[in-house]
Amino acid sequence: MAVLEVRGVSKSFGSVQALENVSLDLRPGEVHAILGENGAGKSTLVGILAGFLVPDSGTVEFQGVEIRYGHPTEVREAGLRIVHQHFMLVPQFTIAENIALGNLRRWENPYQCAAVSEASDLAERLGWGLDLESRVDQLSVGSLQRVEILRALIGGGSVLVLDEPTAVLTAEEASELLAFVRARRDEGMTVVLVTHKLREVFDVADRATVLRQGRLVATFDLSCTEPDVLAEAMVGGPVPMASGTLRAAGEEIVRIEELIVESDRGSPAVRGIGLSLRSCEVLAIGGVDGNGQVELAEALVGIRRSSSGSIQVSGRSIAYIPQDRQTDGLVLEMSIAENILLGQSLREWTRFGILRMRQVLEWAQSLMRRFDVRAESAIVPAGALSGGNQQKVVVARNLHRVPDLLVAVNPTRGLDLRAEAAVRKAILECAAQGAAVLLLSTDHDEIEALGDRVMYMESGRLVDRLVGSTL
Amino acid sequence: MRVHVRILASFALLIGALILTLLVFRVPIGEGLRLIGQGAIFTEAGWTRSAVRSTPLVFVGLGMAVAWRAGMYNIGGEGQYVLGGLAGAASVSALGTAATWSPAVPILAACAGGGLLAGLAGVLQVWRGIPVVISTILLNFMVLPLQEWLLQGPLQEAKGQIPQTDRLPDSAMLARFDPRFDLHAGVFIAVAAVLAMAVFLYRTPAGFRLRVVGLGPRAARAHGISGDRVRVWAMVLSGSLCGLAGGVDLTGLTGYLGTGFDQGWGFMGIPVALLGALDPVGVFLAAVYFGVLVAGCENLARFADVGSPIVYVVQAVAVLVAVGLQHWRFAPKGRAEVELG
Ligand SMILES: Nc1ncnc2c1ncn2[C@@H]1O[C@H](COP(=O)(O)OP(=O)(O)OP(=O)(O)O)[C@@H](O)[C@H]1O
Ligand SMILES: [Mg+2]
Repeated sequence: MAVLEVRGVSKSFGSVQALENVSLDLRPGEVHAILGENGAGKSTLVGILAGFLVPDSGTVEFQGVEIRYGHPTEVREAGLRIVHQHFMLVPQFTIAENIALGNLRRWENPYQCAAVSEASDLAERLGWGLDLESRVDQLSVGSLQRVEILRALIGGGSVLVLDEPTAVLTAEEASELLAFVRARRDEGMTVVLVTHKLREVFDVADRATVLRQGRLVATFDLSCTEPDVLAEAMVGGPVPMASGTLRAAGEEIVRIEELIVESDRGSPAVRGIGLSLRSCEVLAIGGVDGNGQVELAEALVGIRRSSSGSIQVSGRSIAYIPQDRQTDGLVLEMSIAENILLGQSLREWTRFGILRMRQVLEWAQSLMRRFDVRAESAIVPAGALSGGNQQKVVVARNLHRVPDLLVAVNPTRGLDLRAEAAVRKAILECAAQGAAVLLLSTDHDEIEALGDRVMYMESGRLVDRLVGSTL
Repeated sequence: MRVHVRILASFALLIGALILTLLVFRVPIGEGLRLIGQGAIFTEAGWTRSAVRSTPLVFVGLGMAVAWRAGMYNIGGEGQYVLGGLAGAASVSALGTAATWSPAVPILAACAGGGLLAGLAGVLQVWRGIPVVISTILLNFMVLPLQEWLLQGPLQEAKGQIPQTDRLPDSAMLARFDPRFDLHAGVFIAVAAVLAMAVFLYRTPAGFRLRVVGLGPRAARAHGISGDRVRVWAMVLSGSLCGLAGGVDLTGLTGYLGTGFDQGWGFMGIPVALLGALDPVGVFLAAVYFGVLVAGCENLARFADVGSPIVYVVQAVAVLVAVGLQHWRFAPKGRAEVELG
């Protein structure tokens, strides 16, 4: 008996076949992983389950009833809970207001509703420190992710679908979440987990379905499957590992002293940081998201004012990979080519006051090939790309040539194994060719793999290692 | 281009809606359509009138589009239009013969007048947080008494009887092509403005930044684009275009500025811009669409004994048709799809 049955679902966007004749059934009380490289169609499948996207053909049955498309609330009320890959929160609302939204019973006061108190209990149980009164547009992506998950978890539900929920969480936060998922599974809930992290799959999942280019490759029973087999099925070959070459640090590019930076909320987020960064050096900073990493990065690249202290940057070209590709990184309505142009020196691409769009387009196409951005052409709007491919556009824009300073926040967020390895390699190559790299990441492996020096950020300060419960 | 298909399709729907309106006003359909067609398209007087009516709509529509694209909801086209006209008239009266060697002087003065007014609203928003939606509409109300005062004081005609300016000297007027009709060289300025704005928005660094600020303010900030500066300049440009509309009407059509100068073009620019999807060529087509309707209905109102309200009714119907069409296009089966990325 399947709780959720997907039968022969196909979906295309223009000439892109995002899903082709995919069939899948979910058993009650299982954790089912959905795997596949960037653009394989995972989020499209999730969108169809949510009742958001209308398939071209095929059906989805939830508890024996066919889903009505275009009615996401109906799906939700039936007990199918979805956490989308990209955030679906009202930025101007507080966390509490966002949680109340869609969870209110009739006539309930949004400021004193059951949903919010349940969410705050749950947050406590998961050990997630969230101030429910803070505005969503002032949160780090890690906190946003936690809010989205909370929102889906409250009020029960029998199926939980999580689209890359751990992409911006630290390993510790992720394992707390996964432990929670396991506990829910044992209570009989069915969980669908989309992820690129094989370790998580083997940690919690019972079965895994692999998609490749919109087609279902196979569904594996994980009790009798080797990780290599799964990786091979996902990307169709072994994955190269990024490894650094030995480099000697060069001259000093960045010197920060006694830096204090305020967050959008006006409270100090960076509280007295001093650091020095040399060319050819990768300084990797880990830690739970929301401890001042973004404020440090923004102050360093010059888009956030510091309240005291000094920052000296001697490099001329600064590349910046921001934390949130969809708001800070890209303009979703604009084409890939225009998005790549954003952040270049416009003067270089201008002749007689006119942008040379033809050249920009050709150049963007070549970058797309080089960074393996999967899209029909460079005039496709960035919003039509899969999450991982959006991330690749942001990376391509910044790493196409070696900058003097690269500031990267979670640069491999949402990338599949192969793309992740490629980006890590590109970052190391930049460093080898003279860039100073400040890498801020919640991914422990990434920090260890790339950093010449590793530090952690905690409550706005840099520490050599994290103490206590956070690590 | 989808935008253009949409506008063409709305033409077809509009004919249907027009017929319904005529039925409601008890105008015989054949007769009514004939009057509209003659008054707007099929006679020399008709199409020239349509062109002349479309001209200010093109300018104001472009002006709205530019501001809205930067996320600045300028709705003060009316005040900017009138102030443009006033600045044009004032430049001629103040500079005398120096200003009358060419219509370029009053027209540029008109641009400056509108640009300053809208720029002021822009500065108020980025500096003090007063939304332009509010300040521009309030500034509209400040232009009206200014106009009244100027027309009874400094700019009043030499005879001093009616609250209106003297006629501009011929040298300060735009060229006309046929003394029987109102068609003037401002039409070419309008076409040039459309092309210039299309190039500006899609092919210049400044236009690129403007679109980025409007669509992705946070992305703009992350890439070192000063949103505030872009927003203020977008308002200045927007106001200049609305002022230009006033200047061109003054030097091309009316030749003087009286209390009836304000014909509501400034407000109609908003549906024009929206219907044109904030795209210069779209705005051009939408302006022609409204211009033709206005010209046709003027003729209808004059000869069919229905009174001038029909002009506004048809405009409203036209907007509704356009809006309805948009929904029809976006959700073909009445179902909403959301992009998930
Ligand atoms: N709204 C859209 N318009 C056009 N194409 C789209 C749209 N949404 C998705 N696509 C395309 O469908 C394909 C599948 O996208 P999807 O988002 O499902 O990938 P994914 O497996 O979730 O990848 P990722 O791991 O990068 O998130 C991609 O080629 C993408 O470009
Ligand atoms: Mg996805």
